[in-house]
Amino acid sequence: MRNETVLILAIVIFSLVIGSKSPEFFTLANLFDILRSSFVQLLFALGVLIVIISGGIDVSFPIVGIFAGYTAVVIMQKFELDGESLLIPIVLAIVIGTLLGGVNAIAIAGFGIPTLIATLGTAGIFRGLMLTLIGSSFISDIPIALDQFSTADLVKFESAAGTLVRLHVLVIPITIITILISLILSRTLFGRSVYALGGGVEPTRRLGISVKGTQTKIYLLAGALSGLAGILYVSLQRKANPYDLAGSELDIIAAVVLGGASIMGGYGTVFGTVLGVLFINLIKNNLVLLGVSSSWQRAAVGALLVIGITLQAISESRRNKRRRALSEGEVDSNE
Amino acid sequence: MSELRNRFASSTLLSDRKVTQLMGFTLLVLLIFSYFSSDIFFTPENFTSMAFQIPEVAILSIAVMLSMLTGGIDLSIVATSNLAALLAAYILTKHMSEDGEITNLWILMACLAGILLGLICGGINALLIAVLNITPILATLATLTLFNGIAIGLTNGVSISGLPEQFARIGNGTFFGVPTPFVLMVLIALLVALIINRSSLGLKIFLIGTNRKAAQYSVMGDKRVIAWTYVISGLLSSLAGLIIASRMSAASPDFGNSYILLAIVVVVLGGVNPMGGFGTVTGVVLATIVLQMVASGFNALRFNQFFYLAAQGGVLVLVMIFNVVLENRRRSKSINKSLES
Repeated sequence: MRNETVLILAIVIFSLVIGSKSPEFFTLANLFDILRSSFVQLLFALGVLIVIISGGIDVSFPIVGIFAGYTAVVIMQKFELDGESLLIPIVLAIVIGTLLGGVNAIAIAGFGIPTLIATLGTAGIFRGLMLTLIGSSFISDIPIALDQFSTADLVKFESAAGTLVRLHVLVIPITIITILISLILSRTLFGRSVYALGGGVEPTRRLGISVKGTQTKIYLLAGALSGLAGILYVSLQRKANPYDLAGSELDIIAAVVLGGASIMGGYGTVFGTVLGVLFINLIKNNLVLLGVSSSWQRAAVGALLVIGITLQAISESRRNKRRRALSEGEVDSNE
Repeated sequence: MSELRNRFASSTLLSDRKVTQLMGFTLLVLLIFSYFSSDIFFTPENFTSMAFQIPEVAILSIAVMLSMLTGGIDLSIVATSNLAALLAAYILTKHMSEDGEITNLWILMACLAGILLGLICGGINALLIAVLNITPILATLATLTLFNGIAIGLTNGVSISGLPEQFARIGNGTFFGVPTPFVLMVLIALLVALIINRSSLGLKIFLIGTNRKAAQYSVMGDKRVIAWTYVISGLLSSLAGLIIASRMSAASPDFGNSYILLAIVVVVLGGVNPMGGFGTVTGVVLATIVLQMVASGFNALRFNQFFYLAAQGGVLVLVMIFNVVLENRRRSKSINKSLES
């Protein structure tokens, strides 16, 4: 069974269980809430997905995100840029994110440092520099356009039960970006190189694909996505807190891995990642409805992750066994 | 005679170039900070306080080193140590009287329970990595989330404090003038050094780290060896957790979150190859001492703590770059040499 199918089943079963316990689960408001809390995570997750497909791992992305988001707000205030503009802070954050992604690229593609160690190091550098040089105080008066954007709803009405149902306008751009990343991964030379790289570095080189070039593009793209995610996080939270997001990398890596991406590289789909993010958010947001205290959220994510990777490992070893049996069968018939 | 001398030289510390470099580096850092901050840094009080802080990082780093020697990594060390410390703290507070008195038996029981939990956590990692063949990064990332999540869930994120004084005395006491945790660290380091240098398990660990495929074909039971490294890593983590709990007289689900980065920085700075196959306990302990001196020095010079964080990341990346450049040069040199001949 494909990983995506398993995830869809898991989502359906979980929804039915919660829905049977509490009727407020199956409301449009709850669905939109889950979507809203997934936007930022999905952007981060797409960057992580690309890195993981290429056989690497990135633990610096939440720091890159908050660095970009926070710094963009600081720059806006310092240079008194037009607070009415939504575009300026977003572009700023993307540029900053790309630059930080460039630092990762230099460490990984330039010097060949193992990805986990490189990004662990750069995460420390980025966070340390942000908090010593750029600022360590909480900014609550973020630029007006960013502030207003947090309530820019595409659909907004009052349900029969009297609760406010809101679907944020971000659903459109995020969908477009998700589809774009999916197309990049499946239809472009770059995308196929990412998969090839995850399959093996040496074979990729023999194919005539520039390993360093591809790695550089991967970390620049991941940086840009993290930058965008960071500024949207700031906007949706309506405050810029430099201490935020640190430590959220585990949830997002968990979502990508549950979505079926292989941490050894070479395999992973955007659809799986979307499902993974939705599933994690579904569980985190609705654990309370099941009567479980919210302090168990992290344990739930951890347990899911352990179960998920165990299932994947078992099916992997079974597939290997079958393949071995098949090839042995071929040898027999040849004889 | 010369053979004897060679054997002697190869068994002394100076035979290892990385360790020699580190010793020079340690001395350099010591001199720099002593020069710039002789009134705060170069004082007996500061050295005593460093000797209290070094052991926990050193023990956690040795745990990471063990997994790295086989080419793996253990990210769950801090989560394991906190979980073990919380269990011990729970037992201690449960069995102490109103005025904080507790029998030595219960202290022993609490410590044993913590250690047992550490072994179980390590066992889970071993199961995932050695038996199910899951990549160590992913497996320990998952167990890190799980262990940490269980700790948060059980305690609601609140720390357990006010541990009995008899227990706190272990971590804050001295043994013939030397802080007890430091003595414990030396013992643990010696024991681990003995295991990796003198036992067959140690030899196998190095062989697996150097070439996993070759180790597999030589039927040495590579899975069992890898399982052992994670179990020992869990054990060491729980010991570190108990020492932290005793020193702080408290246990919390989010103590030492920054220790994962720190431990990896220490291990890499200590000359352990993250791909596996090379590393020494001496190097790791020395690296811990260097970094602790840098931390105290920064503190004495009134740099803020986040600057230290940036410095840790910087050291990690620079050391890795240095290693890679050195490795490339050595390789091209050996290629040139073989071309010439």
